[in-house]
Amino acid sequence: MSTAFRVTGLCKRYPDFALQDINLALEEGQIMGLVGVNGAGKSTLLRLLTGLTAADGGQVEVLGQQMPGGQVAAKRDMGFASEDMRLYKSRSLRWHMDLVRAIYPAWDENYAAQLMRRFDLRADQILKGYSHGQRVKALLLLCLARRPRLLLLDEPTTGLDPVARVEVLEALADVLRDEARSVLFSSHNTHDIEQIADTIAFLHQGRLLGCSDRESFVDSWRRIVCRGAWRGDQAGLPQVVAARQTGSLLELKVRDYQDTLLATLKQQGLDIHSVDPMALEDIFITTVRAGAIHETA
Amino acid sequence: MKLPELNLPVIKLLIVKDWQLFQKQLALFVLGALVALCLLGMARGWSFYLGSLMLIIVMVSIACFAIANSLIVERKEQTLAFVMSLPVSPLDFYAAKLAGNLVTFLVPFVLVVLGTLTVIVFTALPNGLVIYSLLVFGHIWLAYCVSLSVAMAVESEGWNTFAMIASMVMINPFIMILAQIPAISEATSVDAIVWSVPAVLILSAQLLLGVAALAVSGWFHCRKTAFY
Repeated sequence: MSTAFRVTGLCKRYPDFALQDINLALEEGQIMGLVGVNGAGKSTLLRLLTGLTAADGGQVEVLGQQMPGGQVAAKRDMGFASEDMRLYKSRSLRWHMDLVRAIYPAWDENYAAQLMRRFDLRADQILKGYSHGQRVKALLLLCLARRPRLLLLDEPTTGLDPVARVEVLEALADVLRDEARSVLFSSHNTHDIEQIADTIAFLHQGRLLGCSDRESFVDSWRRIVCRGAWRGDQAGLPQVVAARQTGSLLELKVRDYQDTLLATLKQQGLDIHSVDPMALEDIFITTVRAGAIHETA
Repeated sequence: MKLPELNLPVIKLLIVKDWQLFQKQLALFVLGALVALCLLGMARGWSFYLGSLMLIIVMVSIACFAIANSLIVERKEQTLAFVMSLPVSPLDFYAAKLAGNLVTFLVPFVLVVLGTLTVIVFTALPNGLVIYSLLVFGHIWLAYCVSLSVAMAVESEGWNTFAMIASMVMINPFIMILAQIPAISEATSVDAIVWSVPAVLILSAQLLLGVAALAVSGWFHCRKTAFY
């Protein structure tokens, strides 16, 4: 299986922020969810992937092209939409469609019409009258109907109402019916990522905290509730990412969970009360907090 | 040396896009210029001053409108990100913006220059005003090129506004300087087109400096591999 993109040792420095030593790859036909709080570096990473920004170090290869030098060739097979991208307010969606169609030979007019119905958009309406949700859908339509091999979406669901969000997510899920298409989808909304992503990558303070397939990633985390006192001796238990003591109850959040951990905890005098899987949002918050603690330590 | 490749079909589409976006407003500017030319053509004291003032305002407005809308407003309204996501390199983008801007500016500019020269030559106005008008238009061309180069190179809206206002406002001292050059000021009242040495030098300098400003920003963009 070939890769849609691969970044190796990627660095980008700004006066107040740096993306550091990112190593990440997306296989063709996969949806990767890039999760991170605002300012984590998601948009910077996406700009580097589209060739809009040049890296200070490392390699960026997208659809077989080295970026940013090969950006023209790569962008012919790529769709990119970001939350801060706008269309021309004084023009209609039809005008934008004509412009994009003239540039991309693979433009699929039937699919565009289908998306227009699905998103309930009117082609001849001036975009000034569009709501935020409609503008996002229009941008997605312009990206999807060109049938890109790689779709890069920076916070596409931010600010959408629940109905519009579901419509957008469903449309993205449909894109993957074609196994040759790949999607990188950044968001700070873990629910959206959880719904459609095959692979999850966590970005925090410019560093990649982890990346793996969704099921094994979520499955590797547990919330363990025990009775007993936590001695704070985490050195011997590196998989314990967070510990919270409430009275006699102790809540542990652990990554790389294995059943042998329970025996270790029992040996330390803890009485295991329950072991539960964690939701992605909980994992995200725990990871970010642990990352932040690690950074400041 | 290998010349950088340009994505000409997309550049052409982007130029047409800019033209389509601004053509209505440009038509209004040309209409304003026509009114100014009518006033000039009446060849009376009050109408001449009113017409020439209106003409300069219209020309400055066209220059500022072209730059402000195709670059500054696009940045502000975040439509540039959409254009950059299309299969264009920074050089393609620069070429498209430069050509689109020149078309947007030069079409009404050339129409107004030709209209002004026609009015001067075919009405009771002294033909000596032809050179004087060309020098004033030359200043607008130079101010436009400098402002466009700054807008291409600098993202700051404040600096761009400063460059536009400062370069255009310089038209006042420029007109005063012209009045201090006898070879130019005295020729305005005669009924003949007199190409004096100072006039030729100033006009040549305006044209060349304008092109040089654009060339410098073009050289800067040729070296860029990414947009940011």
